[in-house]
Amino acid sequence: MTNRELDQLQQVHELVYESCLRLNAEDWKGYLDLCDPDSFRYRIVNYSPEIRREQCWMDRDFKGLKALFDLLPKHNSDHSPLTRHATVYKVTFDESAGEASAITLLSIYRTQLDGVNSHFESGQTSLFAVGKYEDRIRLGNGTGPARLLGRTVRLDTRQLDIGSHYPF
Amino acid sequence: MSNAVMERTPAGEHKQRHTRNLAEWSRRPQLPDTHYVDTRVYTDPIIFREEIEKIFNRVWLPVCHESELPNPYDYRTASVAGFKPIVVVRGPDNKIRTFLNICPHRGNIIVRSPAGTLTKAEPSGNPKHMTCMFHGWQWDAFGRCAEIPREEQGYQGRVCKADVGLREIRTEVAHGGFVWVNLDDNCEPLADYIAGAFDFMSQELDTEPLEIFHYQKSVIRTNYKLWHETSREFYHDYMHYHNRATGMLQKGYFDRKYTVFPNGHAATGLTTIVYEAYEGNKDRVLTFPGMPKNGWKQVNIFPACTYSLRASCLRVSIMTPISERETLIEIRGLGLKRDTPQEREERIIDHDTIWGPFGRNLHEDLLAVQNQSIAMREGSGSKYLIMAREENSTIHDEIGLRSYFAEWTRRMGRMASDPTRLLED
Ligand code: FES
Ligand SMILES: [Fe+2]
Repeated sequence: MTNRELDQLQQVHELVYESCLRLNAEDWKGYLDLCDPDSFRYRIVNYSPEIRREQCWMDRDFKGLKALFDLLPKHNSDHSPLTRHATVYKVTFDESAGEASAITLLSIYRTQLDGVNSHFESGQTSLFAVGKYEDRIRLGNGTGPARLLGRTVRLDTRQLDIGSHYPF
Repeated sequence: MSNAVMERTPAGEHKQRHTRNLAEWSRRPQLPDTHYVDTRVYTDPIIFREEIEKIFNRVWLPVCHESELPNPYDYRTASVAGFKPIVVVRGPDNKIRTFLNICPHRGNIIVRSPAGTLTKAEPSGNPKHMTCMFHGWQWDAFGRCAEIPREEQGYQGRVCKADVGLREIRTEVAHGGFVWVNLDDNCEPLADYIAGAFDFMSQELDTEPLEIFHYQKSVIRTNYKLWHETSREFYHDYMHYHNRATGMLQKGYFDRKYTVFPNGHAATGLTTIVYEAYEGNKDRVLTFPGMPKNGWKQVNIFPACTYSLRASCLRVSIMTPISERETLIEIRGLGLKRDTPQEREERIIDHDTIWGPFGRNLHEDLLAVQNQSIAMREGSGSKYLIMAREENSTIHDEIGLRSYFAEWTRRMGRMASDPTRLLED
């Protein structure tokens, strides 16, 4: 690997992992700072063998995602934090476009707080969902750092308990 | 009591406001017995078993949509009324039939996948047949036994194919193309059971074919009635920011009327939502045949199904009770079969914004009903739920809840306000 390739790979790893750390910290603004405001598209999808179709459970552009984050304090959510554990498995580069695609395997754990009887259950951690991120990334160059252009969360898990107000 | 204060009620009386000791807390509400419910109806396992027997084994229940099995030999498995496994099959004649998915030989589940086609052969069975993997008995798409390996050698005519057809279950396809079943062979036709509750939505549902685009399910730790009740009262709009910011501020919100139908069904009349009031929402342009833009109608079918037709999508929520404290909740989103890809995408986004697993309202509704179940668990100290709002059958009137329990009481032969009291008493 050339130094340039190593640098690009590191940019992708850092961006993906940083995005998880910020989401885990519920630092929604910090997460959006990692996304390209003009082209970011966030989707959560899965394949349902029940209806034998690909289905989409969330589809938002940058503005839509920001609106969702801004409204979180107005919702009566389950406040159990979600913890994303991610491993970047595969990165491919499109040199001419200055972009990369990354596949990241993802497990999401939930640590109970107030979603159920908190006296008995707060503090318990369980596996909440598994899937992967399919990210499209603009690589950093002289004009700016690497940014997320698009993220598709492809879920294997199709039963999400009561669901979540927090995107994965 | 030391911590009492005086309160003037709207009727002008002076009453003492104070906390209650155990005897006071346990006292029946000073309300007609139709206007409150004893929490044991949600927690008692004996009552739960009786509900399966007296209600779920006898009423029409929707199980899936026809677009989940679009072609001959397509199938869909499910379970109804607790754990009764069923398989819904579209025959070569295009007719949809339902069978108990239990092998009459030694009780195995026959068809295992959630959905698929019988046109493909099983490892041990022929195509176009349902094969029990255990000993290879097979049935055709009409539920007739087609194969018993070494039938003659083993049974010498004592058991033969003619004796071991599948148990067929009464099935009708109606109300937007849903497949409805009834476990009671002697039940009334579906139309009699529905008793006109879908009439005000029939143009939207039945002018042209619908198609499923969203399927989601969860086993929620709650009693099935609690989930259904959230669809039957709008007083909880206070929980949803979305509803506080859109519907509740609109002119006419408090005029929206409930209609109560025979057999425990209840409908909420048309309203229109100004979605622009909600930041981050695009205006909805798509609709259903005959439905005004941004319209919203809802019908609740006793005992465990809700159709909500809101703007561009139809949501159908179906509950399968598992135990007194566990319920499988299935949510389907549907559009028109002829949608262009772009129209479909719009409907999906509209649907997910409110009702997807990451939507605004669903999560709040499920959180509330799960927490209710925790609070009123047997022995928790919970006693009664009050369902006494009377507002001339308008939106915050709890007539939808009362009509539900009137039917529940009729079928169970027990008072919901005191389930130890039988109706004959
Ligand atoms: S149990 Fe089904 S063939 Fe024996
Ligand atoms: Fe609700």
